[in-house]
Amino acid sequence: MIRNVLSLSLALVIALAAGAISPARSQSLDELHKSALKEGALNFYATLAQINAEIVLPAFEKRFPGIKINHVDATSDQLVARAMSEARGGRTLGDVFQVPLENVVQLHDQGLLLDTSFPESSAYPDGLKGTFWIASDLQYFIAAWNTNQVKKDEEPKSFDDFTHPRWKNRLIAEPRDLEMLLAFAKYRFKSDEKAIDYWKKVALNNVEFHKGHSDLAELLVAGQASVCLTCYSHHYPQRIKKGAPLNYMLTEGVASINATAIFKNAPHPNAAQLFARWVASQDGQKIMAQGGRSPAHPKVDPINKTKTEKTYFITAADLKEYPKYEKLWKEIFKLR
Amino acid sequence: MATVALPRSNSSSVGLFREPAMLVPVVGAGVLIYLAVLPLLMLIIGSFQAEVAPREFVFTLKNYQNAYASQYTYSTFKNSLIFASGSAGLSFILGTLLAWLTERTNTPLRAIFVPLAVVPLILPGVLESIAWIFLLSPKFGYLNVWLMSLFGLQSAPFNVFSLPGMIWVHSVGQVPLAFLMMVAAFKSMDPSLEESAMMSGANTWQTFRRVTLRLLLPTAGSVLLILFVRTLESFETPALIGIPARIYVYTSEIYLAFNEYPPDYGRGGALAVGLLLLSAVGVWLYRRSTREGKKFQTVTGKAFRPRQFDLGPWRWVGLTFLLGYFIFVVLMPFLVLFWASFLPFFAAPSWDAIQKLSLDNYRYLSSFRPFWEAMKNSIILATLTASIAMILTSLVAWIVYKSKLRGAWVLDFLAFVPITIPGIVMGMALILLYVAFPIPIYGTIWVLLIAYVTRFIPYGMRAASGSIMQIHSELEEAAAASGASWWETFRRVTLPLLRPGFAAGWMYICIVSFREFSTSVLLATGESRVLSILLFTMFEQGQVTIVAAIGMLMILTLLIIVALFQKISGRVGIQT
Repeated sequence: MIRNVLSLSLALVIALAAGAISPARSQSLDELHKSALKEGALNFYATLAQINAEIVLPAFEKRFPGIKINHVDATSDQLVARAMSEARGGRTLGDVFQVPLENVVQLHDQGLLLDTSFPESSAYPDGLKGTFWIASDLQYFIAAWNTNQVKKDEEPKSFDDFTHPRWKNRLIAEPRDLEMLLAFAKYRFKSDEKAIDYWKKVALNNVEFHKGHSDLAELLVAGQASVCLTCYSHHYPQRIKKGAPLNYMLTEGVASINATAIFKNAPHPNAAQLFARWVASQDGQKIMAQGGRSPAHPKVDPINKTKTEKTYFITAADLKEYPKYEKLWKEIFKLR
Repeated sequence: MATVALPRSNSSSVGLFREPAMLVPVVGAGVLIYLAVLPLLMLIIGSFQAEVAPREFVFTLKNYQNAYASQYTYSTFKNSLIFASGSAGLSFILGTLLAWLTERTNTPLRAIFVPLAVVPLILPGVLESIAWIFLLSPKFGYLNVWLMSLFGLQSAPFNVFSLPGMIWVHSVGQVPLAFLMMVAAFKSMDPSLEESAMMSGANTWQTFRRVTLRLLLPTAGSVLLILFVRTLESFETPALIGIPARIYVYTSEIYLAFNEYPPDYGRGGALAVGLLLLSAVGVWLYRRSTREGKKFQTVTGKAFRPRQFDLGPWRWVGLTFLLGYFIFVVLMPFLVLFWASFLPFFAAPSWDAIQKLSLDNYRYLSSFRPFWEAMKNSIILATLTASIAMILTSLVAWIVYKSKLRGAWVLDFLAFVPITIPGIVMGMALILLYVAFPIPIYGTIWVLLIAYVTRFIPYGMRAASGSIMQIHSELEEAAAASGASWWETFRRVTLPLLRPGFAAGWMYICIVSFREFSTSVLLATGESRVLSILLFTMFEQGQVTIVAAIGMLMILTLLIIVALFQKISGRVGIQT
């Protein structure tokens, strides 16, 4: 009985809270800007690389003057760990959290993210939004190579090529990219067995692992290896424009989601809303494209060639299976 | 030793209230306890806690089990041991050779190599590692590529991403320290013992082996020990080379326990306490050995000048070694960074690359906000840390060495405690302490200031106490006799006399704060980011040529600080 009353009142509170929030939802960005002005700042926990951030963040600050962004940048693991340390000390310092979706889910599991949806999400298909997040951009895992080391006639046409022994000791990859195995299992081969078999054959070529995708790109430029197996497509157009000896394969690839979310008890709640909504809006997505990312908004195209022809999309539902594929991935490549 | 009769009262609790001067040591002790002891307590307590529900902790020993009984414990322990003893040994050998050749032999041109040997001090550890990655990376490292084409080798002769690679990179960064300590040892050695050996018919080599080396033994032991402990505590090479190569040592394990999902504070804390203990034992042994060293004292009141060994034709070998060391170890890391800073992306020297050289990276930095914010933070922190640490330690050193206070040694001890705290452990302890602190300084540069001041207090103590002890009490007694209060005496007599030591200490702390990495890596984020951390994150993000440009500007800034300071203070050298 008491339980019923409790749950009833809980439901009531939630309904009231939702009611309290919903007028804010219909607020225009400029109205939201006015309330955000009182906060004046925004703590942005995001993996966005400095080279992208320095285009995206000033564009926001120019569009909404009076709000200064403090960008806390680190790898996604580090950002999750940082937010958790802060929560452990009883603090919430972050406002907006923008990292790969799997890490957004990790932090949500810790109860640190706000359950909310944004008016802008109506423009997005179901796979690109959730009850506490919205896609900010997509990253395409592709194969890329150093053109000094890979001759024209040797250039790979599909991932099948990399099982060939001529790639022995010439491949690099990111140790945490289990997405490749997962997407190959679910969408390329539609079979765990075949996918495992494929990556085991690749493993025979003695893949070298380095952390960080930008690092991989840079190692490739420098000639540390001939081919990067799990690189991000958006890292390549800019480097090629500067004259780096690189090329990349867009025939097929795996796409994963970077997502934006808002911290529960964010110190600057309005500024957080404002940023999250702006970056999901068509305008914000255009700026993301200018900043060198692949926008998630269906109506905004990337400026550079980053989309793959055949794409294996990792959906939010796949995230639950990460532990399983992570274990397999580590076993295949004998990673710690 | 005559001591100043200040503060005049005995150290009774009544005196505390009667004599305001008594407040100074009490406040000093309070500050030192707050800075050095409190974080350690937090850390130790935390290592015995497990979080069972949000913000609800219970006592446990499991953290220690996780930390020291896992499948990785043995390899981490082994790696740390090899890394630390290898680096200590190598930097000791190089430093001793340099010191001996320049101080005690007739090697030609030796005098110009003395200042050159300490030049690497201005190369921050992060940059040192980055430069050697550029040089010794197995596939694109310049030295490797060059040697491979020169000798037609099939594979790279060197791989920096290995334990020997880590040892090499860390050692060359540490050579200046070994060099300075050994120079001091050589300088203070009484040559009459060597002379008697020569007179008794020993040749140069026999004299060196039987007399010089033996005289050096106690010093050598303590220098090796300090190099060992410093390597164990270091995080630059383990972060930039060890982690990518998957070679983990203590500091990287602590960092990863704290910085990877899911973070394991308990395990990190337990590892940190272990490292702390190791380092404390090392420092304790060091103190003991230097104290025992008195038995081997060779400095007497007698005037002497260390004699020089005549190396004969071998002096040219000595010169070749000095030249080779200077070109390959000191100059090349600077050159490779300099070269890379003009490239659009990393490329080996070639006609093609030369055509691509431009000022683009520097132009990019001129409007790159994070760079200027980090630069501002680093400068503010370096100057403030140096000033606060030196004022604090001058006061403490004065109380310890000049006042009659009975408990003064406690202050001396407290001011020495931070030297046992590895940088990364300090970072971790301060996060635990300040994240929940009522005053919101976590995430700002003020928490970094606290960390830096604490860590560098022992350096300040050394500089300040050295000069304080030299000041004869007569001067202060004269001031007191003329009716000056203790504060007036301190301000108008002691402080001005302290100036050279103060200046040297200030300079040194300023430089080490400006390059600081291992504490900052856990504490500096977003708006509190400092240059070394910007270098690290941008290197991780693959912007290697921009990183090289930031590095060049960082070195330039350090040089400007040194030059400005030398201009102001007149006669100051880098002192360790």
